[in-house]
Amino acid sequence: MIDVQSIRDAARDLLAKGEVRAVIGYRRGSRGMLAEPVTITDPEQADELVWDATCFHNLALYLVEDRKALAHAQRTPNLPIAIVAKGCDARAIVVLMQEHYFKREDVYIIGVSCEGGGVLVEYKLARLLNGAQALSAVIDGAELVVTTLAGEVRLPASEVMADRCLECREPFPKEHNVVFGEDQTSRQLVAPFTALARFEALSEADRWAYWCRQFERCIRCFACRSVCPMCYCDECVVDSITFPVAPETTAEEKANRIRWIERSAVRSENITYHMTRAMHLAGRCIDCGECERVCPVNIPLRLLNNKMEREAREHFGYEPGASIGGPSLVASFRDDDPGQFIR
Amino acid sequence: MPDNIYLPELARITYIKEEVPGERAIKTFRVEPLNGDSFEHECGQCAMLSAFGRGEMMISIASSPLVKEYKQFSIMRVGRVSAAFHDLAVGDVVGIRGPYGNSFPVDDWRGRNLYFIGGGCGLAPIWPVITTAVAQRDNFKNITVFYGGRSPRDIMYKAELEKLRGVADVHLSVDKAEDGWDAYCGFVPANVMDKEPSSDNAIAITCGPPIMIKYVIQNLSQLGFADEQIYTTLENKMKCGLGKCGRCNVGKDYVCVKGPVYSWAELKNLPEEY
Amino acid sequence: MEKILDKQRLDDWIAALTDWEAFAPAVEDGVWAFRPVVGAARLDHPNTKQPPKGFAFPQREVFFSFEQIKGEAPRLTQKLPDSKHRVVFGVRPCDARGTVRMDRVFADHVDDVYYQSRRNNMAYVGLACNKPPSAHCFCLSVGGSPVSSDGLDVLMTDLGDRYFLAAITETGKSLMTTAGDLLKMPAAADRKQAASVHAEAVAQPQRAINNPDGAPARLKASFKSPLWEELAQACIGCGICTFLCPTCHCFDINDEVTGSAPLKGNRVRTWDNCQFPDFTMHTSGHNPRPTVGARLRQRVCHKFQYFHENFGMHQCTGCGRCISDCPVGIDIVHVVNKVTEHAG
Repeated sequence: MIDVQSIRDAARDLLAKGEVRAVIGYRRGSRGMLAEPVTITDPEQADELVWDATCFHNLALYLVEDRKALAHAQRTPNLPIAIVAKGCDARAIVVLMQEHYFKREDVYIIGVSCEGGGVLVEYKLARLLNGAQALSAVIDGAELVVTTLAGEVRLPASEVMADRCLECREPFPKEHNVVFGEDQTSRQLVAPFTALARFEALSEADRWAYWCRQFERCIRCFACRSVCPMCYCDECVVDSITFPVAPETTAEEKANRIRWIERSAVRSENITYHMTRAMHLAGRCIDCGECERVCPVNIPLRLLNNKMEREAREHFGYEPGASIGGPSLVASFRDDDPGQFIR
Repeated sequence: MPDNIYLPELARITYIKEEVPGERAIKTFRVEPLNGDSFEHECGQCAMLSAFGRGEMMISIASSPLVKEYKQFSIMRVGRVSAAFHDLAVGDVVGIRGPYGNSFPVDDWRGRNLYFIGGGCGLAPIWPVITTAVAQRDNFKNITVFYGGRSPRDIMYKAELEKLRGVADVHLSVDKAEDGWDAYCGFVPANVMDKEPSSDNAIAITCGPPIMIKYVIQNLSQLGFADEQIYTTLENKMKCGLGKCGRCNVGKDYVCVKGPVYSWAELKNLPEEY
Repeated sequence: MEKILDKQRLDDWIAALTDWEAFAPAVEDGVWAFRPVVGAARLDHPNTKQPPKGFAFPQREVFFSFEQIKGEAPRLTQKLPDSKHRVVFGVRPCDARGTVRMDRVFADHVDDVYYQSRRNNMAYVGLACNKPPSAHCFCLSVGGSPVSSDGLDVLMTDLGDRYFLAAITETGKSLMTTAGDLLKMPAAADRKQAASVHAEAVAQPQRAINNPDGAPARLKASFKSPLWEELAQACIGCGICTFLCPTCHCFDINDEVTGSAPLKGNRVRTWDNCQFPDFTMHTSGHNPRPTVGARLRQRVCHKFQYFHENFGMHQCTGCGRCISDCPVGIDIVHVVNKVTEHAG
């Protein structure tokens, strides 16, 4: 079990010694037991940091926000920024580095291992607690230690964990500057792509009906896109109404911008949005599962991205976020790449 | 107001004039209703023009309310809808709905000295006040117009401004001089300071790029103009024009309803978010 | 008009409303939503994921269609909403009070014919909250209550095996009258139980805005506070808080082209959101609200200051959805309390 104090000490140290300009981590929010993202710049704030089973967020998103703010202010920082990163988050950071969004030395990765556990899903926890209110939930090996008003309860983490954690390919942040927690990569919880395989067992007609139902519920809040670290494009191809302009942007550019999809949250537009986004994430999505977690209307978005990830694995032997020096999927070509699609 | 506030009337373009050529081209359009009479408006009010298939844009009505046959708009080519307008020809039919917003209290200004200070295409929103004042010349004391553009090519309403010289003082300026320019060279706020308008019994009406307005107001205050003597017109991104879509508010005011015309005294009470 | 309805007879009442299309909460893929009643209606929902604002103010609405043959004047065809009567069961008091606020916006200064015609054909049958449906309810501190009837046509209270019904409007009365003898006169014991259920409901603990009456002035004094950027730090700029809110009404208008020769299309209204980064961006590239802090400030001040200054009521009914569904934990109760506490 990770002693959260060691994470706090590491953060405090880095800030106090002036080795980093900020630390992106988690702290307890105002919503009961749930953690929330925080960026601290003062060593005194380090004691706010937490690490538990509610640290869902992929904080790599805030590295992207930080980079955009720097670019906007036309500043080059002289110090790296530190980030608390789970296994999945660390792979997101690797993808961003593969795409040259920032350099390795720009980021100080405080890795945290999920060990035998992962982040929880609130409704699964509520079901197991039978109405008792959880005050905190911490990962201890393969168990979740939940504190309730009535006392402590130990639950098998596998019964409370998110699907994305059950199927996790890499619960240990391989890329790190410092790491806390043991490397327990061989958890053997659920085989990767299990949920996808189960879904694919349905007939094509049933699958189409299912997706139509999902996309009719979509309200185009764009939370899925907003929370994804890899959706960093200022101009999103699929939502050509949301598009930032600068004083230099000519009338031509604004006038000629094609509207690939309309703002209307109707099935045709929603399907185009989600399918295009999944294609654009092929080889880049590391299955942090945040898109699915944040969706207010429970669309199982992971299935779309998992499908692309499995295709990349099977056809090209490609794994996203594996190593910084590695190529990105769609920007590289090997002579022995399968060419069945070329006729 | 019609029964359906979102349904535009159809209007035919009867006149197009290229005011300013080039990258940031400005064209003046006049439209006349296809059916029946056009709506009436007051100085400072705006209308939503439609280029069907492209969208709508909110733009100040540049003609005086005294002109009944047509409505005039001067449109700079900056975006999707304005670019569509620049591609239109005389005879083409567009949509128009309005009038929106509040107006300059021109009647309150009878007997006063009026100073109009415009920059770039900011002359258009205050043009109806200028032409109305000139048409009712005896109602006002001195009329002075300060107007400037980046270069001589960017000066709009050139001929109309020349015609004003008989009944008003006209002080033109360009940010950057070119051969043949013999008027003031420098920014509009500086030109104002140079001519030292008196705040006595005066009203100043200004419109232009935000930075120009900021310095004009600063300079006028320095010259002794009270907050209540300075008027401007705000612009904000707008979609409905009717205070419902929630987009254009500055504090509690929807600029499309409670604005766009504000005195500096009123503007000071609103959050600085424009 | 007050009546008692046996829970078993709820479906009979709905069936008797032949002039109405009835909606009730139903769960699909784990999401509660108001759906057309098919078979048995259930009223055991916490609250629906989305408020019922979509009935009078749908996510997408066609204003008119246009057709333009080159060289001719365009032809515009108005698309007004249908005149179907729709009744929604299971509306929580917070959502009904939200409707009251939406009504003000769409009738302010000029009438919005699309909203009005849908709204005039809606009826809302509410269900009092015997206990808070959410851990983040705070209706009491924003002038509401779990048993409020404001904005409802009928208020139902769950008494265990039966509902206590109170007609609030003429429409409500007529809905109840249509039920005929499905409804019984309440006995003294029924009234007593309803009153005690209400009292208990109001006594349930919930979250609270600490100084709701002082909020407008304190928020006004806090426009330049650095707290806005701090509190908005984690905001990802999505549309969850606004799209799920019973009082948020921002919208966009766009032309959707369906054909080019001749030009054909629709002018369409869709929901929009002040938290999207480019909501207020001018064509010139100037953005009056360029940061997450400025946009959070807009949302909060619009709800607790500007709307109050214009209409004398807060534009928030304490449903708690924005708090429970924010992906990163931005909590409007926490934000308002923190900013107003530090005001001045």
